[in-house]
Amino acid sequence: MAEQIVNLPDIGEGVTEGEMVKWLVNVGDVVEPDQPIAEVMTDKATVEVPTPYAGTVKELKANEGDIVPIETPLLILDSDGASASAPKKQAAPKQEPPAVAAPTPSPAPVAVASSNGAGGAMDVYPPVADARVLASPSSRRLARDLSVDINHVKGTGLAGRVTRDDVLQAKSQGVIMPAASPAGRTTIAPVVPGSVPKPAYQSPAGAVEEREPLRGIRRKIAHNMQMYKQIIPHFTLMDEANVTELVKTRTQAKIAADSLGIKITYLPFVMKALIATCREFPMFNASIDDANEEIVYKKYFNIGFAADTPNGLVVPVIKDADRKTILQISQEIMDLAGRAREGKLRPEEMKDATITITNIGSVGGSYATPIINHPEVAILGMYKISDRPVYINGKFKHAKVMNFSMTADHRLIDGAVAANFLSGFIKRIEHPANLMLDMV
Amino acid sequence: MSAEKFDVVVIGAGPGGYVAAIRSAQLGFKTAVIEREFLGGVCLNVGCIPSKAMISAAHFLHRLEHDAGTMGISVSGTKLDMPKLKAWKQSVCDKMSGGVAQLLKGNKVTIINGEAKFKSVSELVVREKAGEKSITADHFIIATGSRPIEIPGFQPDENDVVTSTGALDFEEVPKRLVAIGGGYIGIEISSYLRKLGSEVVVLEAGKGLLQGAADADCVKVVERKLKKSGVIVHTEAFAQSWKKQGKDLVVTAKVKGKEETFKCDKILLTVGRKPNSDEMNLSGIGLKIDERGFIKTNAQRKTNIPNIYAIGDICGQPMLAHKASHEGVLVAEVIAGQNRVYDARTVPAVIFTDPEIASAGWTEEECKANGYHDLKVGKFPFGANGKAVSLMETDGFVKMIADAKTHRVFGVHIVGPEASNLISEAALAIEMGACVEDIALTIHPHPTLGETMMEAAEATLGHAIHTINRPVSQTSANA
Repeated sequence: MAEQIVNLPDIGEGVTEGEMVKWLVNVGDVVEPDQPIAEVMTDKATVEVPTPYAGTVKELKANEGDIVPIETPLLILDSDGASASAPKKQAAPKQEPPAVAAPTPSPAPVAVASSNGAGGAMDVYPPVADARVLASPSSRRLARDLSVDINHVKGTGLAGRVTRDDVLQAKSQGVIMPAASPAGRTTIAPVVPGSVPKPAYQSPAGAVEEREPLRGIRRKIAHNMQMYKQIIPHFTLMDEANVTELVKTRTQAKIAADSLGIKITYLPFVMKALIATCREFPMFNASIDDANEEIVYKKYFNIGFAADTPNGLVVPVIKDADRKTILQISQEIMDLAGRAREGKLRPEEMKDATITITNIGSVGGSYATPIINHPEVAILGMYKISDRPVYINGKFKHAKVMNFSMTADHRLIDGAVAANFLSGFIKRIEHPANLMLDMV
Repeated sequence: MSAEKFDVVVIGAGPGGYVAAIRSAQLGFKTAVIEREFLGGVCLNVGCIPSKAMISAAHFLHRLEHDAGTMGISVSGTKLDMPKLKAWKQSVCDKMSGGVAQLLKGNKVTIINGEAKFKSVSELVVREKAGEKSITADHFIIATGSRPIEIPGFQPDENDVVTSTGALDFEEVPKRLVAIGGGYIGIEISSYLRKLGSEVVVLEAGKGLLQGAADADCVKVVERKLKKSGVIVHTEAFAQSWKKQGKDLVVTAKVKGKEETFKCDKILLTVGRKPNSDEMNLSGIGLKIDERGFIKTNAQRKTNIPNIYAIGDICGQPMLAHKASHEGVLVAEVIAGQNRVYDARTVPAVIFTDPEIASAGWTEEECKANGYHDLKVGKFPFGANGKAVSLMETDGFVKMIADAKTHRVFGVHIVGPEASNLISEAALAIEMGACVEDIALTIHPHPTLGETMMEAAEATLGHAIHTINRPVSQTSANA
């Protein structure tokens, strides 16, 4: 019986670890290649991890709730040589061992998916310490044993040496991974992990309380929100729009779309108005590359939309929304929102947004001050529509009014610019027919 | 043919393989090591150890003949008994190799004497004296090392044309030797044969000796002493062919474009080594090998086949025994599920010339290649060290290279007495990320050769005590 180790695979760019949510197999189970073996939560999504091999589950290497770095063992299979133990998905070289008779069936040659240039360290976690890192062999080993990427630990010792305590500290606080910066450029110090205090909560004597572990999406949200708020100086601007025309347009469109089985909300219209306004103000569809002190203007429009789910907030992304019709966007929103509620979004469906819209209007509240989804630099808030009297040309008229907020990264966007942006946006959303002028 | 089954099978019992086998056994694996020739590999049998025995004997003789008189000891009638020297050298090897056998047995490692070949990724066929047998294992560690490179027209027969293996086993000292290749193996052997009485001509194809093997300043010291001892060195010399002319061997070479002939009794071929990756049906099982013949591995020395690992000479430069041993331990621990990677900052390297050269870390050129241009360089000569003077071994120096801003030690290059034993301090300093001050402020005992390390650190800071501090060019490596 040969042993086959199944590692947690690379489950998405930038994902370095996952939380073991649930085992889908038990010790003793017989599994087939591609069979899901575990649910692992990463980057706001739960993914099902399949086994590339066949065999009998011999040992589970993680408990539910554990944080598992990628490329570390999840479970061990017993795979007898007789059955196909070669990974099905990976392309095995189609060469026969030459000049060697094979009286007993044997596993076929297997190519490992990860890169394996001599000495390459891309497939080990944590990565091998860079030559710039000042740390003794024992500190480097301690970091490895604790799964701390020593390349991102700030050294407090002489000349920036990473001490044993630095490693332990980084472990207890969790290391924030700054974006990789191209070698050779001058870099500005990334956000320093550990600069956020982690005070323990002291229970008052006799208080009736209940503790539960900070886990899964909630843990991710807590971690991310803290980081985004730490990096970005936020400011928020609010205004209201007369959306009487928009309501009419949407009502008409709804009738047409209903016959196609597609539910049309206000969100796609807001997206279109947002994209048109971003074209006028490109700094809203941008990012700051802090490591290199550069502003990155994006020539594509991936619109994130905040979705409430039983597990917490997630942000699915409509990719290339500028090149999709309102009908296509509506269809995508239905699909993504539905799967978000079931926790079935794939990590890549929540990645690479260039700007985000949050829509809590359907729930309540006149205004909010949302947190920007870093590395984006702006987030648009849309709120509930209400019936109100408005004073137009000396008369009060009934109108449908909707509140909007624009929260921006003050490093890149000045107050006046944000005011112009919001008023430009409101002009567009108040006259949906004019939106046609901006359509691609 | 029933297969014998192990947890871990190591192929090759050199300094990589036997270490990997011992650590595997220590970790509780049922382990076997397969060796086709001798326990301890090239290193213990036809490499590092026998050459050191020969070098130490030759140096002893040399000092009797040259230095003893100055010290007031008159020695007459020194005579070399080559068969006896050879027997002593062999006893050294046997002792070390026997030690390996004991260690393997003591750790309950099964030793299989034979030549292995992969039948599949989980099965080996081993050809033993008694016949073939099949071995299966969950994990394989390939540690089969390297062998000398041959060049056209100079097929080694270990009689007229010898590799290092044949040279270490000469029955008598050749009167005249032509060494093709001025790398570290060729120069080590040439040096000691010269001391034992050979007339030596070195033909090196490159522009200088020991190119790429050591710091250029260090090489100069060795080159000077080598020439002074009577070794004739030709650079840009390409050996073309050889023939027998009566009792003489005649080597024809193009030296700086001109054809020349050299008469000799033995031809030593040391033009480098190549990995043994063309054996064992490695490509047949789909193992990835790079264009230079090294098995491709990652930082854990995993190959592209999940249960097969490769360590030592066969997985890349530098081809040094101590690197292989380090990898042997690492791989065994990786197999045991520990998260280990090869992250050593430096593999110290030693050349047993006269005087010895040893280095750890970067040369000035390498610092610059790694993006560090602002350097501090300090040198301290052995001539100013009391112990070296009393040993009558004053050639050479310790050179230290550090970052000008942080004073972090990047490299130490030593040429001089016991350089091989002094370099470990530098290796430790580099692994620890030490600053020059860390070495300068460590009290070194007096009178020892080790003081030169402390003084070189002081010199790097511009204030060595026992030498006049001249401003050292911070960018002396313009070459």
